[in-house]
Amino acid sequence: MDELELLKKDWKNKENDYPTLSYDEIYKMIHSKSSSIVKWIFIISMIELGLGLLLALLNPNIDTKIKLPDWTTTLTYLSYPIILFFIYRFYINYKTISATDNVKKLIANIIKTRRTVKYYVLFNVVFGAIIFAVGLYLGFGNSPEVIENLNTTASSKKYLVIIATVVIATALFVGLILAIYYLLYGLLLRRLNRNYKELKKIQQ
Amino acid sequence: MNKELEHNFVELLKQHQNIVHKVCRLYTNNKDEHNDLFQEITIQLWRAFPKFRGDSKFSTWMYRVGLNTAITLYRKSKRRIKTYELEPLQFKLKSDEYDDTEEEQLKALYKAVHQLNDIEKALVLLYLEDKDYREISETLGITEVNARVKMNRVKTKLRTILNP
Repeated sequence: MDELELLKKDWKNKENDYPTLSYDEIYKMIHSKSSSIVKWIFIISMIELGLGLLLALLNPNIDTKIKLPDWTTTLTYLSYPIILFFIYRFYINYKTISATDNVKKLIANIIKTRRTVKYYVLFNVVFGAIIFAVGLYLGFGNSPEVIENLNTTASSKKYLVIIATVVIATALFVGLILAIYYLLYGLLLRRLNRNYKELKKIQQ
Repeated sequence: MNKELEHNFVELLKQHQNIVHKVCRLYTNNKDEHNDLFQEITIQLWRAFPKFRGDSKFSTWMYRVGLNTAITLYRKSKRRIKTYELEPLQFKLKSDEYDDTEEEQLKALYKAVHQLNDIEKALVLLYLEDKDYREISETLGITEVNARVKMNRVKTKLRTILNP
């Protein structure tokens, strides 16, 4: 007999062996809290969206001692509509997630929702890195101690040290954020990505 | 109105709860996980229930939401401790039906099914439930032809697991 036919026979035989939950037990369950992956994605995404928005709003006033060039302020204001667009896209994508879709569509919609937040974070990281690098460079450049030092012993080596410091500090800042990001979502979405790949493979 | 909806839903689920148990049986390894997944599927079914139009049978709709929850939405709780492996005997056999060789074979089969990936398990579940390839393809979001091809591959895979 075919293996699955044997299994089917047993499966049907055990139809009445499952536990039976009472009306009250089921009633209690529908009022309990969900721990679905979508809920977690929503919570984490809201934190990310909120943090991004907070950073954008606070950015021009982070440190008044450092006089950032005017274009960075313009850039900051330009970022507001972009952030709002990301939040709008996230909301629209999130609303399309439905447990009654087919498996492939559901996974695709969840991944799409996540991708919006991924691009949002990427945008914030790149934007943050620019401001961070400019701020750091100007911080060095405006420091009387550094200027004096440079004026007396100005050499290309000193400038190189400053540039290298800025580059390394920026890279560390970006690296840290990306590491946290990939660790968090790598774990959270691993199963989802694996199943989506499998469904796509079946269709090939 | 909401109370009435709640009542209708709980009654329907009570009637068809075996479907949820079956999904849990294939996707979990112990009683705690089974209960956890059962609860999550119940929550997802309840959330989706107001949009249930009755275009499909309630049971068909349940398979879809149940599988979606097991494959996509359910997040295993790390705090859960594995208490026992699910074997056919968990759902006890009547002694007069007991056949040693067949029981051993079934044990191995259930174990092999548990080694399949999430999508393969869904195919097996729908197959065991006598769903046709049209319904299998619609539930998973693949074409009917591909569902058939994949089903054959799953059978081969099971054979390989059983006879390495």
